[in-house]
Amino acid sequence: MSYYLGVDIGSVSSNFVLIDEKQQLQEKLYLRTEGNPVRAIKNGYKELLEKRREKLDIKGIGATGSGRHLADIILGADVVKNEITAHAVAASWFYPEVRTIIEIGGQDSKIILLQGGVVSDFAMNTVCAAGTGSFLDQQASRLNMSIYDFGPTALKSKQAVRIAGRCGVFAESDMIHKQQMGYPIEDILMGLCEALVRNYLNNVGKGKKIEAPIIFQGGVAANAGLKKAFEKILQTPIMIPPHYDVMGAIGAAILAREYIEDQGVNTAFKGDSFIIEGQFKSSSFECKGCPNLCEVVCIKREQEILAYWGDRCQKWESSLGHKEVG
Amino acid sequence: MKTVGMPRGLFYYYYYPWYKTFFNDLGARVILSSPTTRITVDQGINMAVDETCFPIKVYFGHVQELCQYDLDYLFVPRIVSVEARSYICPKFMGVPDMIRASFSDLPPLIDITIDISRSPRDFQEELYKTGRLFTKSRRRIKAAYEHGREELKYCQAIAAQGYTMAEAIDIWEGQEEKGSWNSDLCIGVLGHGYSLYDQTISLDIIGRLRKMGCRVLLPEALPGERVEEEASTMPKRIFWTLGRKMVGSAFIMEKKPEIDGIIYVACFACGPDSFIGEIIERKIENKPYMLLVIDEHTGEGGLNTRLEAFCDMLRRKRRQKIEDNLPAYG
Amino acid sequence: MKITYPHMGNACIAIEAMLQKLKLEVIPPPPISKKTLEIGTKHCPEFACMPLKITMGNFIEALDLGADTILMAGGWGPCRFGYYAQVERDILADLGYKFDMVILEAPDSRVSELFRQLQALGQNVSIVEAFKALKFAWYKLQVVEELEKKLAYVHPRALDKRKAENIYDLALEKIKATQDKEEIDKLFHTCLASLDQIALRAEEPLRIGLVGEIYTVLEPMANYNLIRSLGRLNVEVDNSIYISDWLNDHLLGGLVKKSHRRQLLKCAAPYLNYFVGGHGLETVGSTVIYARQSYDGVIHLGPLTCMPEIVAQSVLKRVSSEEGIPCMTLYFDEHAGVAGIQTRLEAFTDMLKRKKARRAAIH
Repeated sequence: MSYYLGVDIGSVSSNFVLIDEKQQLQEKLYLRTEGNPVRAIKNGYKELLEKRREKLDIKGIGATGSGRHLADIILGADVVKNEITAHAVAASWFYPEVRTIIEIGGQDSKIILLQGGVVSDFAMNTVCAAGTGSFLDQQASRLNMSIYDFGPTALKSKQAVRIAGRCGVFAESDMIHKQQMGYPIEDILMGLCEALVRNYLNNVGKGKKIEAPIIFQGGVAANAGLKKAFEKILQTPIMIPPHYDVMGAIGAAILAREYIEDQGVNTAFKGDSFIIEGQFKSSSFECKGCPNLCEVVCIKREQEILAYWGDRCQKWESSLGHKEVG
Repeated sequence: MKTVGMPRGLFYYYYYPWYKTFFNDLGARVILSSPTTRITVDQGINMAVDETCFPIKVYFGHVQELCQYDLDYLFVPRIVSVEARSYICPKFMGVPDMIRASFSDLPPLIDITIDISRSPRDFQEELYKTGRLFTKSRRRIKAAYEHGREELKYCQAIAAQGYTMAEAIDIWEGQEEKGSWNSDLCIGVLGHGYSLYDQTISLDIIGRLRKMGCRVLLPEALPGERVEEEASTMPKRIFWTLGRKMVGSAFIMEKKPEIDGIIYVACFACGPDSFIGEIIERKIENKPYMLLVIDEHTGEGGLNTRLEAFCDMLRRKRRQKIEDNLPAYG
Repeated sequence: MKITYPHMGNACIAIEAMLQKLKLEVIPPPPISKKTLEIGTKHCPEFACMPLKITMGNFIEALDLGADTILMAGGWGPCRFGYYAQVERDILADLGYKFDMVILEAPDSRVSELFRQLQALGQNVSIVEAFKALKFAWYKLQVVEELEKKLAYVHPRALDKRKAENIYDLALEKIKATQDKEEIDKLFHTCLASLDQIALRAEEPLRIGLVGEIYTVLEPMANYNLIRSLGRLNVEVDNSIYISDWLNDHLLGGLVKKSHRRQLLKCAAPYLNYFVGGHGLETVGSTVIYARQSYDGVIHLGPLTCMPEIVAQSVLKRVSSEEGIPCMTLYFDEHAGVAGIQTRLEAFTDMLKRKKARRAAIH
């Protein structure tokens, strides 16, 4: 069977999907990146092969996420796209009428507004983590609670505790305070959900006109407490797509399919043996070519140099010939 | 009777008696927003761009509150300069435009431009333009303006006795004067009035210090001409009115023997404060000095610890001095 | 006397030319690097704006190389830039450096005053020589800006981006090194001709207007090489401010060039009706003009905590919806990460591209 492969390599998780020629999802895989995107990409592909137990006929590959260039080098991508576009494409494939996408991942969050299937505005969170999944992870572990129980427990709450502080650190100290005052755990959890939603709306969603239909995606959408908090604060029902956790990868795969079909070209896919049999290594060095002292990353497979990046002047990057991104 | 809404923020703390008298004399009723609360803060954070400073966000919160009322006008002046060749800050100069861009259901704005550094004539024209909304008589407008100025002077005289401008305004409005505070330390506290005297923005730093046994000396208690004189020792004139006032006040406070230490309360993301705090820190060599940076994330616990530690240090220092002066062999 | 100055984009080419013609020994600060920003950040107030930190780094690096005089510009507010020189002088003095600081005070002084200041600065130069020095520097600046504009046209269209960059970079380096007018003209024309020979893509690029605070707009090290990054994404960038415009409007009283300031102010007026210091008003006015010239989008830059640009940003959301032009604001400080900025740029241009394609499909 022929597939299009979509990969979304983020700093926390690496996602892989296979879609068929009718853009139906055939396989999905979710891995922790664990600070080693090179290994995550290789292992992810390997696992995908093992799971399908067949020779994959890859027609095209799309890569997104902060590690998209790395994925391109190891796998050979046809389309290398930023996360905003990838998420928007996937959401409007499932919900053509969608107007607002709320995307919250482990380390970042976004809002995307669409009109007629085209992105009309977007914003990404600033450095603050108070509006992201890692904030919930931390608080859950502080309360000795599995992140999987977080949502169901929060839903039991009848009256959420108000947790002040827009910043993760301050919210945490306020939460500890509330805990010591003896508030029930479910009310505290719901309070955390509402605090996160408020932070998200004030930071990423500031000044944006949030209109229905609203889609909530990203790994954090698994938390039912958050969905409820969004619905309470926005006073609108919110939809969660069935594959909320791999939407970026789906978008990348769709973009790859569009590209291959529109251009009528063959995929740049490097093939199983290139990916599985080789040892990939990344290293970095300081380029002394000018006072910028750029930190240049070098990716090698065995002894062969595959790519450089990180140099402002692109002296290294272009020394190997490069592909257009966008 | 026409109503004029007035946000309890920014230059409310410096000019309210003037504003209020002016509008009352012209036959208008002034509706002031309530004192800043957590809700004001939340609403302000909601409306203002993230990067702006805390007092502006709070001001937006006050505007939001006033939008609920049925007002004939909302008074949000564009304060460019209140004296020649000086400014307040760029954000003050854009306040009415920022408000227009952020709120959709505003009452008509009175966005008079107060720019004394241009010609006094321009300012007078702006004043008449505002006054004409209520009366045709130029004489009456002028009289209301002069009366307002008198009332402000009276209120400033109250503040000079050791009250914050917020307290002075309350007293001016007829509240009883507060009793005296017991104190063994005297601390000079500096900062822009609209953050320092707003009890929510500053987390009531002044109240906390008084409870810790400090007498608080504020810039309003120092004679204006002396402040200018001290500030003019800087190699380049400071072109921010409040910044210059703070620098001049700090120099005076350093010379006053009864003052044990100086605290500067700066707002994070305040442009002038980022420089003025630094300048004062470098020039004040003979007195303990603490720069406190506050914003909407500042927590009470941390603040209390810092204030207590500062006071403890001043007290120990004083004891040390006394002990040093005792003869070694009794 | 060994004189140094702060960096801002290509301004160094003109400044160095002028100082040399004033017969001064010039010690240029080393090109801005990560280290420059680190040194500056270490010694500046934490929430001061980034240009203060970078110029501070420039001064420290230049003083360490033996400079003993600093040339700096001033101003009379309300933007913090007007007090940069004073704060920097105090900090440097406290660090134990011995130096003189010559501050050219901008808006208060007249043109004649400026000549007098320059003459005083020079080593035994006549007023005529001072005038010639300024004229020569101005000429160089014009040449450089013409090349900047040419590259802005060619780069986004070029098939071989790196070739275009190389031609331009090399020409600039050579122009910087020579103080001979004929030689400059020759280099200028050669560079134009080589850029003209670069093969171009058939597709018309997206057009984005660049607005904001002058330093972050003009200094590539302050904005993570934003203009080049966009060019590499096939986006043509129109820069709303050039150094010559600023000098013309603020230092030379509009003498040398026809200024379009009045049009700017007129366009800004419905949204922002008063000077707010720095380039806040220009930001708003230029955005309106770009919208009316059917640009695809506007990118707005400023250093984090920049007061005038915060006012402009607050107003821009209204401009954006009423004039119908997408705007994106990017703030820069010592913590900004290059990856986040690149993603935003890609997503923004992607959005504009798809919007444009849809508009084309409808018509």
